Order: sequence, then C-alpha cells, then structure tokens
Amino acid sequence: MNSVGEACTELKREYDQCFNRWFAEKFLKGESAGDPCGQLFKRYQLCVQKAIKEKDIPIEGLEFMDPSKGKAENSS
Amino acid sequence: HPWETVTTAAMRKYPNPMNPSVVGVDVLQRHVDAGGKLHSHRLLSTEWGIPAIVKSLIGTCRTRTYVQEHSVVDPVEKTMELKSSNISFTNLVSVDERLVYKPHPQQPGKTVLTQEAIISVKGVSLSSYLEGLMANTISSNAKKGREALEWVINRLNTELEELAASARGSLRNPMAAAAFVEK
Repeated sequence: MNSVGEACTELKREYDQCFNRWFAEKFLKGESAGDPCGQLFKRYQLCVQKAIKEKDIPIEGLEFMDPSKGKAENSS
Repeated sequence: HPWETVTTAAMRKYPNPMNPSVVGVDVLQRHVDAGGKLHSHRLLSTEWGIPAIVKSLIGTCRTRTYVQEHSVVDPVEKTMELKSSNISFTNLVSVDERLVYKPHPQQPGKTVLTQEAIISVKGVSLSSYLEGLMANTISSNAKKGREALEWVINRLNTELEELAASARGSLRNPMAAAAFVEK
C-alpha cells in the first residue's frame, strides 16, 4: 500500500511492519507497554506531514507532533 | 473468525481487491491512551471514492479524494471502533461511517460487526428513489467490507503457513527463504 507522499512509501512500509508485529503480538495480548516503533514512526511522520502540506490536503484538528504524547480518555 | 484475527485484519485492510479505489493509507497520529486503548488517526487516499449517485449530482469524474479515519482498539473490552468521514468535497457531501467489531456474545470464536453510514448531500432534497439507491449501495458496501476482511485474513494465514514451511525448508534452501521474507 502506498503513502500519500510517494517519497514516504518506503518509510511507511518499515513502520507498518514494525507496528503490525507489535499490534498482533503485544498489544492485543495485553502488553501495550513500550513503543518499539517510535523512531520509525517519527521519520515516517515527518515525511507525511510534508507531503500533506505540499498537496494541500485539508486535515483539521489533528495533532501531528509527538506520537508519544498520550491523551487521557474518559472510559466509563 | 475470532475478534483478534478480525481486528488485526482490519488494521491491515488495504490494499485488497474489493476496494480498488483506496490507493494510499497513512497514519497521521497514533497513541495509547491512559485507559490502554489504541487510538489511530489515518488518512485514506482514494482514486475516485465518490458513490455513483453523488457523481451524477455533482458531475465529477476521476479524482483523488481523501477520507480521515479514527479508530479505537480496546484490547481488554475487546472492541474496535472505526469512524471515518470524507474530507474532500465536504461542501457538497458528507459520508460518515461507523464500524464496531466485538466478539460474538453467544458464539465464541466469532466476531460481530455493526456498521452504519450517514450520507448527506448538501442543498439537495433526496427523493425516496435516491434514498433507496443509497441504502442498496451501503448494504452492498457492507458486504464488500466483510469480503475484503476475509481476503485479508486468508492472506495473513497463507503468509504464516509459507513462513513456517520455508523456515522448515530453509536448512536446505536458504536462498528461497530469504527471497520470500523480502517479498
């Protein structure tokens, strides 16, 4: 699957591989601590943000920066 | 299929032959919240993406459209919720979709999907014929979505089998095993 930015597709693939493994083997089994993909994600993110600006895609209200920042959610 | 399988497949839904219009998927933001739930904001790029019914109203042909998707996966409660809406042509049409995957309450090893879509076309009052047409499109899209996940699940299982087979045979044929892993 390609990225919205053609140059980002390889970075995306590397990140996706890491994430898919973590998601199925750790997260779904209840071990969500740790983020082995943080570095890959940051590099991929920078590329995507640039592509989105260049293509003028109307993304609003989403925070791009710092994927490690967690938002507290109310769960009832 | 069990909920974990369906959720894993849903995360890797594209590309698949039932959704040829989706040409790009990007993660814009992702984090685990204080409650342990995984939030992902993704951008889907589609090559045409506009239902035929709307195309006939606004007269647009092939065009790149974008959809934003927010998903939440709760591994404890075992729910996955996806909400998506178009971010292109919002001045003309809104397509909001919500999908929820949960384990089947009575049949273990199965997953229940609840899906709803709200389509509004701005400034046009829809006749009942158009509404009927949209309802058909939505339900055939829902069926397509299930077929798409079946396809992804099959592919994931094949990958695992081939990996296991090649690992067994890799002592004899290391080149083939390496070539497969790179694919």
